Amino acid sequence: MTAPEKMAIDPITVEVIGSALQSIVEEMGEALVRASYSTNIKERRDCSTALFDHRGNTLCQAEHIPMHLGSFLGVIPAIRARFEMADIRPGDVFMANDAYAGGATHLPDIVLAEPIFVDGGLVAWAVNTAHHSDFADRGHEHIYQEGIRIPPVRLYREGVLNQDLQEMFLLNCQVPRERISDLRAQMSANRLCVQRLRDLCTKYGAAKVLAAGDALQDYAERKMRAAIEAIPDGTYSFEDQFDSNQWSGAMTFKVDVTVTGDEMLLAFDGPPQVRGGLNLIYTSLLAAAYFTVKSVLDPTVLPNAGLARPLTVTAPKGSILNCAHPAAVEGRIAASQRVTDLVYGALAKALPGKVMAAGNGCCTGAIFNGADEDGNMWVYLETIGGGGGARPGADGLSGIHVGLTNTSNLPVEALELEYPLTLLRYELVDDSAGLGEFRGGMGVRRVYRAEKACRFTVESSRVASQPWGLDGGLSARGTTLDFGDERTSFAGMVDLKPGQIVSITTPGGGGYGDPAKRPEAAIRRDIAEGRVSAELARATYGLDA
Amino acid sequence: MAWRIGVDSGGTFTDVCLFDEDSGKVEIWKVSSTPDDPSRGITTGVVEGLDQVGKTAKDLSFLGHGTTVATNALIELRGVKTGLIVSDGFRDLLEIGRQKRPNLYDMNADKPEQLVSRDLRREVPERMRYDGTVDVPLDEAALRAELRALAGQDIKSLAVCFLYGFLNTEHEELAKRVIAEELPEVFVSTSHDVAPEFREFERLSTTVVNAYLGPVMQRYIRRLKENLAEIGLEIAPQLTQSNGGVIGFDTAANLPVRTVLSGPSTGVVAAQAIGKMSGFDNIITFDVGGTSSDVALLQNGVCQLTGEADVHGYPIKAPMLDIHTVGAGGGSIANVDSGGLLKVGPRSAGAHPGPVCYGLGSTEPTVTDANIVLQTLNPVEILGGRMKVRRDLAVESVQRLADKLGLDVMETAQGIISVVTANMAKAIRVISVQRGHDPRDYALMAFGGAGPLHAARLARELDMGQVIVPLTPGTLCALGLLLTDLRADFAISRLLPLDDSALTSIDAGFADLMGQAAAWFDAEDIAGDRRVMTRTADMRYMGQNYELSVAVPAGPITSETFKALEEGFEAAHRQRFGFVAEGEQIQLVTLRLEAAGVVNKAQFKPQPDEGPDASAAQIGTRDVYMAEAADFLPCAVYARDKLRPGNVIQGPAIVEQMDTTTVILPDMTGSVDSYLNLILEVKA
Repeated sequence: MTAPEKMAIDPITVEVIGSALQSIVEEMGEALVRASYSTNIKERRDCSTALFDHRGNTLCQAEHIPMHLGSFLGVIPAIRARFEMADIRPGDVFMANDAYAGGATHLPDIVLAEPIFVDGGLVAWAVNTAHHSDFADRGHEHIYQEGIRIPPVRLYREGVLNQDLQEMFLLNCQVPRERISDLRAQMSANRLCVQRLRDLCTKYGAAKVLAAGDALQDYAERKMRAAIEAIPDGTYSFEDQFDSNQWSGAMTFKVDVTVTGDEMLLAFDGPPQVRGGLNLIYTSLLAAAYFTVKSVLDPTVLPNAGLARPLTVTAPKGSILNCAHPAAVEGRIAASQRVTDLVYGALAKALPGKVMAAGNGCCTGAIFNGADEDGNMWVYLETIGGGGGARPGADGLSGIHVGLTNTSNLPVEALELEYPLTLLRYELVDDSAGLGEFRGGMGVRRVYRAEKACRFTVESSRVASQPWGLDGGLSARGTTLDFGDERTSFAGMVDLKPGQIVSITTPGGGGYGDPAKRPEAAIRRDIAEGRVSAELARATYGLDA
Repeated sequence: MAWRIGVDSGGTFTDVCLFDEDSGKVEIWKVSSTPDDPSRGITTGVVEGLDQVGKTAKDLSFLGHGTTVATNALIELRGVKTGLIVSDGFRDLLEIGRQKRPNLYDMNADKPEQLVSRDLRREVPERMRYDGTVDVPLDEAALRAELRALAGQDIKSLAVCFLYGFLNTEHEELAKRVIAEELPEVFVSTSHDVAPEFREFERLSTTVVNAYLGPVMQRYIRRLKENLAEIGLEIAPQLTQSNGGVIGFDTAANLPVRTVLSGPSTGVVAAQAIGKMSGFDNIITFDVGGTSSDVALLQNGVCQLTGEADVHGYPIKAPMLDIHTVGAGGGSIANVDSGGLLKVGPRSAGAHPGPVCYGLGSTEPTVTDANIVLQTLNPVEILGGRMKVRRDLAVESVQRLADKLGLDVMETAQGIISVVTANMAKAIRVISVQRGHDPRDYALMAFGGAGPLHAARLARELDMGQVIVPLTPGTLCALGLLLTDLRADFAISRLLPLDDSALTSIDAGFADLMGQAAAWFDAEDIAGDRRVMTRTADMRYMGQNYELSVAVPAGPITSETFKALEEGFEAAHRQRFGFVAEGEQIQLVTLRLEAAGVVNKAQFKPQPDEGPDASAAQIGTRDVYMAEAADFLPCAVYARDKLRPGNVIQGPAIVEQMDTTTVILPDMTGSVDSYLNLILEVKA
């Protein structure tokens, strides 16, 4: 099809249509969460919804999981690479999850995309991704071990389900009942989007809606450029350590952030890709970079394709930060979180007093899987928050997710009903925060008891390194794992016996500013509340408690 | 002979609405609120209002009161020092919450202030399992030790929330008895009393908020009762709750958390009654104040209840009308951001210094200023002449935005209205399209100070065919107090499959709720023939985690009941999500019972048609900027209090009254119905 002519549009209509587009993606998000079955989506909201324009650029995205800023980016180009435009019809639904051929970032994030046609022309794409909690207990030497790989394929052709394809997919899933239900919820979210966008085009005309979409991207670009322009030109460098309980030995990641006028180059460097599920596909790196820059420079910039225009992001091909086939990518969130730390660290030099200390820097994952008496498998995945970094002017938040993730916990009362697990403790960890004029947030301890035999996998980092403080603030405590046996914190996967107790302690957030400047009243309150022990307070602040 | 009175106490004004049961006459009175001791403003309002009609407090047959005391105490963190008793291992749950950070991108956003400091959150050994069986018995000695430690801390209130407390209340009840012995002076909230529902954090948060506000509400009610007794009130006054019903003062004092969202609820109740009376079953309410707009949807005259809301960051589980609020009101500030787009709100100018046109020093234009520039609002004086305005200042401030946007001043003023209308439309989409309702099937009922001003444009944005402007849009909450029943909601969580194996448990569950309702009816002294009970069940497909509410047919719980529930659930699921999951197990989650004590309500009498000619009500003409013409058009201006039933107004026109202004667009007509509602419709 030919692209509609570019039309002039006033800023008020742009804002009015922008509100309507935002309503649509939010409605999609709610529909997806509410109709889904798996705990990871329905309670933990590990999913995202978006509209892409007819060229495949992000138009509008609901606020769920920043990591998904990347899970989407490659999808429409991947579809277009496999299918002729003339062959794409209303009612087609494309499904993809592969990091190399599917435009996604790791296999559990399954993307469904449906083209939206108005008067025979493609105007936009309804797209959503949901993290299907499946493909557990796998190897990660390369991507072939990590689950079924799906390039863009048509799950529906003009509204008709491809049953064979669906059966093939479900047979490769450990919990097929959840997968089919979640797919249904994803379908229903996209259908709503298609309907709503068509209604909007009926009201305003497709050309005006598209013009507003273009204007919204230009608008995001202008805001981004205005914010970059305010940073002094120069190169700001930072390096940090990356480690994982699933990989022996620490690695060094580096970034040079170069600001020139209203443009920014983020040049990353890291070691060669590893035979472990820790590698980042390029779009994961983009998601991490976009998120961090937006959050520091202007949190209100719309998360559409316009925000990326002034940014250039590079990393050596074949490195852990920009991996090549067949590198495994399942746990890409761990290194992505360190990428956000890198960018924060570099921007702190560019914008002193505007950036917080390092947060817990993890997206600590706990995965339990087993089978019931009939051999049906169950998989339970959760991620655990930790401390947020101390901010210039305020203590860090305790027990939160930082960076690219922001999933909810599962209520204990739901967890224990659905899985043979008992949660014994869920608490903030005393003395886990980095101290300073402003204290970091506290890390979290979660203690589980397995009621039946099952397999337990932990994915964590900051085991050997610590979240750093800023401007004189001290670093926080890192991760510790206790498997109830002789294993150390560097173990990754273990078999649990009934009654076995395991414990995960996540890092706190780094401190900000010289501890000597912390007011005595704040120190005494921390001691009274048990957040900081009297011994540590004495050692750090010299305060005689 | 007997009069009924509704008193709605807001931040600035206390509105009083009086109703004569014999003549059907309604009188309105407004006095300034007295925030330092709101009960003074209330008694003054009651006395002065009654004076107007030559009556005293002894002549009252009913007094209904709406208050924001609990809401404000929560927002301003003026609750009492509160302690917390929880299951071992979970004292930080209150602070961790659902583990999400408050804003995805803004790292400066904070979590809400902790209502119980960490040292006052105490753990005791005890643990239930998911089926309600005891894993670890409550260690009473440990509990006593914790309570004794708290005794020295001068706490005024104590919350108790154990895991699975909604399922097995044994440990919480034991704790309550022990607390009564150890700390007899302290206000106690237990989770099974306050919010006996599944999901521990939300239950905990609700219980803590209730404990935090309890003594504040008790003090307020004690004082108000004394003041009302002093002026000679002989009947038992009633207080509104977030569910739109009223309840006796004593019950309210123990469950202040149920009033936290009561503010806008009686406006919805009034809208419901007015709609019913005037023949509108399907209504979307649109209540616009200075800083926000509240919208709600009434299908077949009924506003759905919702079970949970977030109040300033604190999740609260309590039965409440499903009212959605958006930060868009008359005081919302317009600005051009760094990307060059026009934004309106959520920042608001507040009452002082208020909009630029008040001339009190503001320079940032608000929605009200845009209306003054457009002359939809009287450009000389507003509030029925009580306040002079400065249009010149408003024009200057809008001009500054116009310069940044490259538009002219009138386009910019109209743009501010378009943007705020889009924000309001977004709020209405949340309660309509997002819940499977098409707004085109609904009439828009506009009230609050600025609702009727924006209603016509909003209706146009959403393709809604009719707008209803009630007679007293500015005091609808006070009126609603005269139109509501006594109401209490009871709930109990029972996670069971919807099949015959659950019949006995569900029957027992509802019997339990009916027992609680009966006790409440007795306590409120409600006669047998005035007791109405409605049952609903929250259900989902096994494995989902959000429930849909389905009405339970009357009569005993049988296989037939379950069949009807299944059909009701599938219909609701299809409406909401567009599909039914064939063959999936349906699960019951929460049983609810709404108990209403039907009271004699204000009854309005229709008035005879006096013909279409509205000329007697015309008080002038003014030029008003209309986007349709991209120019000023001469508009007839009418006085609302002079409009008679049957009168018809051709747009463009303006209708003014003390508490609001109604805009009738060029292609619309406004007609007055027999209850003096103004109905706007697109010209045929």
